[in-house]
Amino acid sequence: MSPLLIGMLGILLMPLFVASWRLNLLALTGQGLIMAWIGYQLDPFMSSAHAWLSLFDLLVVRSLGAPLALYAVMRAHKALPSGDVLPPNLMSWTMAIAAVLLSFRFAEMMVPVDSPLESDAQTFVAVATAALLLGLLLLATQTGPFSQMVGVLRIENAIALFELGAATQPPRSAGAADAEPALLELATHHGHALSLTIAQTVILVLTVWLFRWYLQVLPPPTSGKVSAVEGPRS
Amino acid sequence: MTWLWLIGLPLFGAALLWIPHFGPRVGSKLGSRLGVRLDLALTAQLDVRIVSHAPALLITTSALTSAIAIWQTATASGSDPALLAGYLRGDAMARLFAPVVNIIFLGISVYVHGRAAASPERAAVMRRFAALSLVFLAACNLAILGNHLLLIWLALEASTLSAALLIVRPEAPASDGGKDATKEFPSRLASWRYVLFSSVGLALALLGMVSLGRSMELDGHEATLFLDKLPAALAGPANPWRQLGLALMLLGIGTKLGLAPMYSWLPEAYDEAPSEVTAMLGAVQFNCALVFLFHVVQVFRAGSGALITGELLTIGLSSVAVSTVSIVATRNFKRLLAYASINHAGVIAIGLGLGKPAGFGLLLYVLSNAFIKAILFLTAGKIEQHYGTKDTKAIAGLIKDLPYSGLFLMVGTFGLLGFPPFGSFLGELLILSALVTSGQMFVFAAFCMLITMTFVATGRTIFPMIWGEPKQERTWPKQSALSGMHKLIFLMALLVLGIYIPPQLSELMASVATLLEGP
Repeated sequence: MSPLLIGMLGILLMPLFVASWRLNLLALTGQGLIMAWIGYQLDPFMSSAHAWLSLFDLLVVRSLGAPLALYAVMRAHKALPSGDVLPPNLMSWTMAIAAVLLSFRFAEMMVPVDSPLESDAQTFVAVATAALLLGLLLLATQTGPFSQMVGVLRIENAIALFELGAATQPPRSAGAADAEPALLELATHHGHALSLTIAQTVILVLTVWLFRWYLQVLPPPTSGKVSAVEGPRS
Repeated sequence: MTWLWLIGLPLFGAALLWIPHFGPRVGSKLGSRLGVRLDLALTAQLDVRIVSHAPALLITTSALTSAIAIWQTATASGSDPALLAGYLRGDAMARLFAPVVNIIFLGISVYVHGRAAASPERAAVMRRFAALSLVFLAACNLAILGNHLLLIWLALEASTLSAALLIVRPEAPASDGGKDATKEFPSRLASWRYVLFSSVGLALALLGMVSLGRSMELDGHEATLFLDKLPAALAGPANPWRQLGLALMLLGIGTKLGLAPMYSWLPEAYDEAPSEVTAMLGAVQFNCALVFLFHVVQVFRAGSGALITGELLTIGLSSVAVSTVSIVATRNFKRLLAYASINHAGVIAIGLGLGKPAGFGLLLYVLSNAFIKAILFLTAGKIEQHYGTKDTKAIAGLIKDLPYSGLFLMVGTFGLLGFPPFGSFLGELLILSALVTSGQMFVFAAFCMLITMTFVATGRTIFPMIWGEPKQERTWPKQSALSGMHKLIFLMALLVLGIYIPPQLSELMASVATLLEGP
């Protein structure tokens, strides 16, 4: 599981340092695909309707639907290829790195490691927290609708990762020998009624549809103020 | 099962408005694919008829839901019937808030009916408005009846999505010559901010639920989000995941209520939205989010009382502080009312943070606040419509120009400021007294200073609008007393809460106050 989570962290960080809106959408797709793969690993037999629905949510809605919906509008608007989602300065980058370090420290506090299974749970919490904090950082530093939408979708993905991570957390009361059955048990416990999960996916689809509409009708962000030092960007 | 009508009826009404519209389109497309020619003239006729009666449909549906909610509350036997496998429950909280929310929605529907009759251009967009409003009402009723945290969360999300589209006005670009592109479509931008903040707030609340689930599993309990099962699952000392979950949920729901620090969406959305939508957000959805918060506090109070008190007092006092500064600074009367809503949300958070000593006063304040906001926002719509401006300096002599609106603005402002004999006076007094008895003297002192500033700033802005000398001669069509009937009913409810609370209502409020003290 850990290589996948490290890959997820890379995908979370990379677009913040590269000024391309396409890469940001690609990163959303990457996040969805990695989460779908993790979800598949948790229940490789796809034994329940829940598992199929979760796969649909991660693969179709988060990996493909949301990025494609935003991509179509950006393309129709003939958006310039460059587009920062994080202000390109040392301050923002430091904050992004600090957010990741903070996340790992937070995970150490919240999930003390006594067994290999808990090590995975700790990494899960660290990466999901990093995804959440980086999403909030985007929202705090951007005023344009596109970047804000990417920020919200990153937060939504962070929550999905938290939910996936909950399935790997063994209960404190269970011994190491019980870990495997407990994991399966939790995966089913943690799920709510199927209808609620369907409703959750429907709400996400409607949110993405609304985002797409806003991106169509809202004016693009006002071009950045001309820097007195650097002059206008080419 | 009668409770289910509160959700089913509005959804049926919304379907009635949309199906004859989209049905023929889908039917003809399907027919042409199958090579069948369908005669859809009858459906088209039906569609025209239904659309022309959309405001009446809105009134009928909300009148029926109000009657059902009142009936269910009046005939409740004391037991809380579980519905739909326990996902819904007509408990004391639902019995108290369902009638209030539905009656206010009925009043808004009457207002909309009047506006649609007066302006034909509004009638053209009535289908969209009525259908979305009914979906909004169904979602709000679902949130109030919910007995499962995730279900309430979903209902609030659904109400947010429908309200977001209602905030958007069919508008022309602003008259600044397009100098600032962000000002070109202010209601769209306000709607986007509303969706953005709501999405983030509700996402944090959802994350809180995930953390809560994790905390239960760590303690060896079965993870559940059913409100009636949560107290047992949360028994024992609080672990860090539970504390984190609670903190996130309070912050997330606080965002939906317009509490600091994530309140900046509220003044913009309330200002730019049509007044009837502002009333829906401020008096209907606000109370649904509040019910969600009440449930969270009810469940967590026993194990995490200190965290609840600390966080709610902090965000409550911060909200009162930021709103006071904004009230002093603004010259836009709709914004002023919006900042007053943040102020009220802050007072409610403070009261809720105090727990038992403020319980009854808090509920009195919440119910009064709902009616005050409905009166003020609907009146603000009327004033904006007549004067074509929201600038407080440009409006004067309302009591002569628009006597009924002036009167309602005056009475509503008195209620807003906590004058006797309104319920808000008694509610605020009980919350202040609870601050003293709880030993929260710093909060008490800060709160007194801030509400005095709010009092002066609001009076200084609003009272010249009511009693000032009219700036120019205007010729309004005479206002009929009937057009303000719904506001008169709200006013009577406000007086009842301040002067004489019927024993049955008082009992119900006492039992909800007991619920808020925790298991």
